[in-house]
Amino acid sequence: MKFYKDHYDVIVIGGALAGLSSALMLAEKGLSVLVLERHNLPGGIATSFVRNGIEIEAALHEMMSIGSKDHRLKVGKFFDDMGVDIDWLKVPEAYHASLPGLEVTLHPGFETFAREVDQAVPGTYEKVMDVLKLCHTVFDSVNELSIHPMSKPQMLLKHEAFVKTAGYSTKEVLETFHLPQQALDLLSPYWIYVGSGFSELPFTIYAVLMADYVGYGSYIPHKFSHEMSLKMAERAEDMGVQIEYRQHVDKILVKNGRVTGVRTARGDEIHSDYVISSSYPNNVYTHMIEPLSEVPEKAIQMVNGRRLSLTAFSVIMILDQTAEELGIRDYSVFRGETMDTDQCFEELKGLGPYRYITCICHNLANPDATPAGTCSYSITTLPRVDGWKTVKAEDYDRVKHEAAKQLIDDMSSYLGFNLLDHILEIVIETPMTVARYTDAWNGCIYGYAHTMEDHIVARLQTAEEEKFIEGLEFAGAHQISGDGMGPAVTNGRKAAKNVLDAMIAQGRAQGR
Amino acid sequence: MKVKNFLKDVTGASRVTKARLQAFENASAVPVARDPIREAVQERHPDMTEMVVTEIRPASPTSKTIRFSRTDGKKMPIFYAGQYVSIALPIGSPIENSAGSSGNGPDHVPNVTGRIVCRPYSISSAPYEARAEEEPFIEITVRNSGKDGFAAEYLCHGLKAGDHLLGSIGHGQFYYEPLRDSKKIVALAGGAGITPFASMAKEIAHGTMDAELTLLYGSVSADDIVLKEELEQIDCPRVKIVHVLSGDNPGWEGEKGFLNAELIRRYAPEDASFFICGPQAMYRFLREELKKLNIPARRIRYEVFGQARDVTALPGYPAEKKNDVYTLTVRRGIHEDQIPARACESLVTACERAGIILLTDCRSGECGFCRTKVISGEYYVSPENDGRRAADKDFNYIHACAAYPLSDMTIKIPIV
Repeated sequence: MKFYKDHYDVIVIGGALAGLSSALMLAEKGLSVLVLERHNLPGGIATSFVRNGIEIEAALHEMMSIGSKDHRLKVGKFFDDMGVDIDWLKVPEAYHASLPGLEVTLHPGFETFAREVDQAVPGTYEKVMDVLKLCHTVFDSVNELSIHPMSKPQMLLKHEAFVKTAGYSTKEVLETFHLPQQALDLLSPYWIYVGSGFSELPFTIYAVLMADYVGYGSYIPHKFSHEMSLKMAERAEDMGVQIEYRQHVDKILVKNGRVTGVRTARGDEIHSDYVISSSYPNNVYTHMIEPLSEVPEKAIQMVNGRRLSLTAFSVIMILDQTAEELGIRDYSVFRGETMDTDQCFEELKGLGPYRYITCICHNLANPDATPAGTCSYSITTLPRVDGWKTVKAEDYDRVKHEAAKQLIDDMSSYLGFNLLDHILEIVIETPMTVARYTDAWNGCIYGYAHTMEDHIVARLQTAEEEKFIEGLEFAGAHQISGDGMGPAVTNGRKAAKNVLDAMIAQGRAQGR
Repeated sequence: MKVKNFLKDVTGASRVTKARLQAFENASAVPVARDPIREAVQERHPDMTEMVVTEIRPASPTSKTIRFSRTDGKKMPIFYAGQYVSIALPIGSPIENSAGSSGNGPDHVPNVTGRIVCRPYSISSAPYEARAEEEPFIEITVRNSGKDGFAAEYLCHGLKAGDHLLGSIGHGQFYYEPLRDSKKIVALAGGAGITPFASMAKEIAHGTMDAELTLLYGSVSADDIVLKEELEQIDCPRVKIVHVLSGDNPGWEGEKGFLNAELIRRYAPEDASFFICGPQAMYRFLREELKKLNIPARRIRYEVFGQARDVTALPGYPAEKKNDVYTLTVRRGIHEDQIPARACESLVTACERAGIILLTDCRSGECGFCRTKVISGEYYVSPENDGRRAADKDFNYIHACAAYPLSDMTIKIPIV
C-alpha cells in the first residue's frame, strides 16, 4: 500500500501553529507540501480537550498581533490573507495587577493604559506615555525590518530608536525614565510572556511585547485555540496540503550536507529536498539527523550555547458556579509578591512555591466558554525546566499536587472563597504534559531564552551562518521571533520564506 | 523625551551579535542527547507495553481475572486506581460468533483475521502491585456471560498463560483526584463494573491511597458477584463493602433490591464523592435517585460505558436504517479502500471487520483517540457520549468508535 507520493516539494515536521503557517504559505505558492504531526490533531499546545462533556482550553491563549477587523496587525492579516477565518473575541482588559500595595486593572490602548497607571500612581502619565511611545517606535521598526532588511547606515537613519536601544536590557532602558517603583511595577507583569528577568531581557523584546499587547490588546478564538489550529489545518488541506496525523518523524535523512527526506517511526521513507522541522534543534542535531556524522560541531555548539526558556505549569479548573456568582471580576490577573522580575525568574528554577502567577477566567472574554452555571478558571506559572528534571516517576504525582495546591490556596485567599469547594473538573498540566503531547525538547514551550547573549537583533544578523544543513529549516518557538502563539506564526512564515528563497535561487520556484 | 544615555550608542547591534557568537564559541561541542523530561514521559506513559499472561483464574462463575507482567520483567507503568488498559488483541483465527449472539451487536465481529483490535478494560489490580519490587503486575477481570462480545470470549477462552499481548496502560478519567473529590468515596457498582473499585479498595487497604471507600455493589444473584472472594479478603477499616442482590435469592440475608436513594442514604457519609460504574441502564436509574439526595454535580462521577450494545436504543437514532449496509471509503494518506459498513455498527467496527486498523482507547466516544475526519456522508453520534470539541463538530470530525454511518461515507484515518 502506498500512503505517500514519491516526492514532496517540502515536508513539514509538526502540525502546530508554526508548521501550519509554513504549510499555508508554501501551498499558496503552489508547492506540494506534506505535514506530519505526531498527535491526532493539529495545534500542539494551541489546543483544547474535553472532560465530561466540557471543552477546556489547554493553553494560556491570548494571541498578540491580531488587531481589530479595521486595523489588523501582522498575524491577524496573515490569517485574513490565507483565508483562515477565525471568530476572534477581544480580551476585555490588558490585565489586573495584584502586587504589593497595588490592585489595578489596566486596559489596552496607550492613553487608557497610561491614564490608569497615573490614577494608581499619580503624576506618572507623561513618563509612562514616553515609555510606551518608545516601545511603539521600536515595535514599528522591528515589523518593518523583519520584512525589509536594510544596511546599518540606513537603519540608523530610519530606525534610530531601534538601533540605539538594541544593545541594552529592559532594566537599563527603563531605569533612564526614573519612574516611581510602583509605576514601574505596573509596566512589568507581561515579562513572563517572554520569560526573562529585566536585567537579561533585551529591551527590543520588551518593546514589541508592550506595544503589541498594550497598544492593540489581545484576542482569543471563540471556540478555543483548537478553532484556530483546526481552521489553519482545514484551510491548508483545501489548498492541497497533505496532513497526516499520528505520524512521528524519527529521522531527517541527510546526504552530503543536504536534506533528502524523512523517515517516520512507522518506517516510511518520504523524499523531499526541503524539510521544515518544528522539533527543537537540540533534538534534530542529537537524534534526528541520519547519519549524525552530518551534524557539524558548530551546530552542537549553537544548541549548547543557548539556554532553554520556560515551560508551563497550569492548574485548569471548571468551577460549579458562574464567575458572577463567585465574584470573579477579571479576565486575567497577574499576581506576585514582588515585581522584581529577576527575583521572580530565580524562583522559577524550583518546584514551588510559585509566587508569580497568572490567572485567567475564560468566561469573562468568552461567555460561552463553559456550560451554563459554570465557569473556567486557570492558574498558570511558567517555571524553568531545571526543577522538574529532578522529579522521579514515583514522586511526580505528589510534587504536581503540592505545587497545584499552593497555587489554588494562594488564589483562594486572593479571591475570597475556597476554590477547592467548587471544582467540577481539574486538570494539572506540567512540563511532562507538554512533552507527552508535543514531544517538545525538555517539555519547553518557549524555545530559547531571550537574553543579551541570544538577542533577537543578533539572531537576525547571524541567521544565515546558523544554517548547517542545506534544505533544513526550523519553525517554532525556538526560532528568531521566540515564544508565543503570534510569534509561532511569524516563525513559521519565516521558515517558509527561507525555503522559497532557496528554491528561487535554485530555479525551483518562481518569485513573487 | 530627555536625552537618554543609550541614545548616544549606535553600536548595540554589533555588540549583541558579538556576544552571541562568543557564547557559541565558548560552548561545548559535545552533544547533549538526553532529555530527562521526555524520558520521564516515556517511563510513565509508554505508548505500548509488551505484556505476558502469567496467570488466569476464575473471578466468578462467568468471569476470569487475567494477570499480566511485562515481558522484560520490569515494573508496570504507573496508573491511578480506576483507570483502564487498552489491550491490543492479535486475534488471528476466525471466531464464528462463538459467544452465541445474533451477530448484530457492535462487539460481535465474525471472521476476524490476523489483525489488531483494541479493547479497554478497567484494571482490577491495585497501582502498588504494578510497582512492586518483586513480580510487578496488572490484572483485568473480564466477564463472559455469553453476551459480552468476541473480545471477552477470546480473553476468557482463547488466551492462555505465556501468551504475549500489547497494552496501553493508564487511561481514563475515572479516578480519585484529591484536589477535587471528597476523601469519603461512595462507589456504586453494578455487575462487571466492580473492577475499578476493586483496584481502589486494594490501594486504600495497602495505605497508598488516602481515602475511605464505601462500596455498594449490586448484582442479580450471589453467583454473579465478580471478585467476591478477593473483596472479602480486604481487611481494612477504611473499606466497607455492601452487597446488594436484585434477583430472587432464597436465604440471602443481606441488602436486597436496587441501589436506590433510600439504600444510598443509609450508607453514604456526609459530603461524599460518588463514583458510578456499571451498565447504562443503571446510570439512567441512578441519575434520578441521586437527584433525590441533592448531591452536587461536582460530587458525582460516572465511568464511560463502552460501545452501545443496541444502537437503536440511543436517543435520536433512525431505527428504520438499522439493517442498511453502506459503502465506506477509507482514506489513509493517498490510499483508499472501499468496505461495507453497517448502520448498526460503529465506523471503527466496520474498519475492524475489513482488517483496517483504526486504533481506539476508550471505545466510548470520550477520549478522542480515534478522532476521524468525515470527508462526505451522513452519520449518527449519540448525544449521550459525544466527547467532541466544538470546532471538530463544525468541521465534521467524529470519534469513530461512537459514530454510525447513515449513508455511503468517505472518511480519513491515520496511517498505522
